[in-house]
Amino acid sequence: MTATMQPKSEAAKAPLRGRRAPGEGETPRPRSTGLQLGHWWWALPGIVLVIAIHYVATGIGGFFAFTNWTGIGSFKIVGWQNFEAIFKDPTKLGALTNTLFLAFGSVLLGNVGGLIIALGLNRMLKTRYILRTLFFMPVVLSPLATAYVWKYIFDFDGPINVFLTSIGAGDLAKPWLADPQWAVWTVLVVLVWGSTGFAMVIFMAGLAGVPVEVEEAAAIDGANLWQRFRNVTLPAIRPAIAIATTLGIVQGLRVFDPIMALTNGGPAGATETLATQVYKQAFALGNFGGGAALALVLAAIILFFAVIQQRLTRSNPED
Amino acid sequence: MKSERLDMTQHRRYSGIKVGALAVPTIAALVLTGCSAPASSSSPAGGAQEFSLSFATSNTIESPFQVLAEKYMASNPNVKITFNPQPNDSYDQTLRTQLQAGNASDVVVTSPGSGTGRSILPLVQAGFLEALDESAKELVPEGSEALFGTDGKVYGQAPEITVVGLVANETAATAAGGSGFPSDFAALEDQCKSLASSGKSFIALAGSAAPNTGLMAMSLAASRVYAGDPKWNEKRAAKETTFAGSDGWKASLEAVTALNDAGCFQKGAAGAGFDAITKGLASGNSVAGFIPGPSWKQLKTAAAGSEFNVRALPAEASSEGFVYASANYAFSINAASKNKDAAKAFLDWAAEPEQTKAFAEIDGALPVTGLDSYDFNGGAYKNVGDLIKDGKYGPLPNSQWPNSAVYDALATGVQGLITGQKTADQVLQAMDTAWGQ
Repeated sequence: MTATMQPKSEAAKAPLRGRRAPGEGETPRPRSTGLQLGHWWWALPGIVLVIAIHYVATGIGGFFAFTNWTGIGSFKIVGWQNFEAIFKDPTKLGALTNTLFLAFGSVLLGNVGGLIIALGLNRMLKTRYILRTLFFMPVVLSPLATAYVWKYIFDFDGPINVFLTSIGAGDLAKPWLADPQWAVWTVLVVLVWGSTGFAMVIFMAGLAGVPVEVEEAAAIDGANLWQRFRNVTLPAIRPAIAIATTLGIVQGLRVFDPIMALTNGGPAGATETLATQVYKQAFALGNFGGGAALALVLAAIILFFAVIQQRLTRSNPED
Repeated sequence: MKSERLDMTQHRRYSGIKVGALAVPTIAALVLTGCSAPASSSSPAGGAQEFSLSFATSNTIESPFQVLAEKYMASNPNVKITFNPQPNDSYDQTLRTQLQAGNASDVVVTSPGSGTGRSILPLVQAGFLEALDESAKELVPEGSEALFGTDGKVYGQAPEITVVGLVANETAATAAGGSGFPSDFAALEDQCKSLASSGKSFIALAGSAAPNTGLMAMSLAASRVYAGDPKWNEKRAAKETTFAGSDGWKASLEAVTALNDAGCFQKGAAGAGFDAITKGLASGNSVAGFIPGPSWKQLKTAAAGSEFNVRALPAEASSEGFVYASANYAFSINAASKNKDAAKAFLDWAAEPEQTKAFAEIDGALPVTGLDSYDFNGGAYKNVGDLIKDGKYGPLPNSQWPNSAVYDALATGVQGLITGQKTADQVLQAMDTAWGQ
């Protein structure tokens, strides 16, 4: 407050009280036109690379979505045929359903779990720094490597079934990743395990900005724990929720490597997602045109949900 | 001022260390990346010859392609062959990408026909393979000419004959008791039930690995479809029949369910990978697996105390026996190669009877030449010798299918049959749909 109330003239002289200000006593140089423009051309190599690698490559890929290219040799333009095939094929529609289920399931559970952990580790616990590291560890580890560890855990001869057998519940033992009912849920467990730590870090950053005084004032006014969370903490961390859910949805919609390592989309397509289908169609089955069309559909879905989610969670309606 | 200068000096020193710490690994990574790029295809001076060879590997055992090439280098000291082994599960994609980009190896290992990503016919159609000479033509197995090229030209050189059926642990089969290896499908089901009750299984299945479930279905179709109608694929291509309309194919897929119901597969088979086959057969907990014949040799190294043989899957009636025996791999030359002469010289050498015999021995397969006079007695192929001598064999069906999507629909569908997600009719319809892609 003092600084803002300081008279203008005094503020202007303030540097004189301290050490010598840089450039003092020198004749001020007139700003050149280049500086005014901000030397935008310095960014030109980067801009060219981004356009070439991201936009031109994506555009070419988008073009192939309208062809029957197999990945080698010549091709013909087939119009919307690849897109029609996608929406007629029950495997692709199943992949779309799985994609949405896994994306929203992992965002919901991962963010709720991340928020609970962040609230628990925000201030009180002495071991919070160690626990934060442990909870964040899955984000740092390779998704592919951890997926193989999970595959071992869910294996028919793995620790879960060994435990079930040891407590006399051997009837419940099953090949979890090859069971049509359970496979997609086991994949969800792995995704939530991997995303919770990331959400936790974002929420912890948000919680650091919640003033303790306001929480204390609410407590003095008689607000209970839930009311303080609902009316003080939650509104304050709204931007953090927006970031965590947006990134979570984008990440969840394009999930690929854990599924390839865990189930390879099986059993019989039960855990297939759009991303695994893009890979299989374009590269494994030599249907590059179909894979490119599927990739475009996936990109459109990600864009749609990212925009919707941003609009729902923005804190300022004028943004 | 002195301390300020000291601070600045230290700051600069630390900055230099930071920059160095970042720059050294970055430069090292770039240099190493550069070093790991494929070797230049230019021929060295002094009359020496050089070419590169790509092949697929799926285990740590040295590839027979590499062993043969090393033998060639040993007998031709002026030749240098650069090996580019690729993981088997990504070999097709890598090969196609490299051929499309123009940086594939000079000699590449392909497959006859059109049913996989590495198949010869689509690669020829795209102009990626070089036509081979007479020595390669002479090695094309009888009746398989259409799988090796078009217009009378041959684009692949067969190195061996691979038998595909069951690889059986005979020691485990004997230990399991009963009346020996089952002679027909009903006896097989009985033995499955008997083994299941003792905690073992007749078949070790990699239910989560599409190549294995697909191979099982094709093995079941050997006696149910191709024994009675070896030209079935040609009829399908001519649209004279369909999978969904084929009683033989329907019976084959229903047999998958029958095997599952009889307890023929190990527990948890639906989620098992290829390691389950190796473990099951090597330990004797399972009797047989649907794997390519040459695997008997690799299993023998893992379980030296057991005897492994190649067998045909027991048919509904013992008189309907049929087995797949064909050249499943081939040497091909990259049309964009700058070392075609060196590559062709290698293929000419590999086509010599001495080398085809050596290759078959290295891999544990049958030789591509001289099969009529081959002595099956006493070897791993003694149980399929009569079928081959009687001409009751044919190429793997999917080598004649138009694309890899048909086999994928079969393999994925069989997974669905085992887990109860799909019916035989649904799988067959999906195969017909994939045929038309």
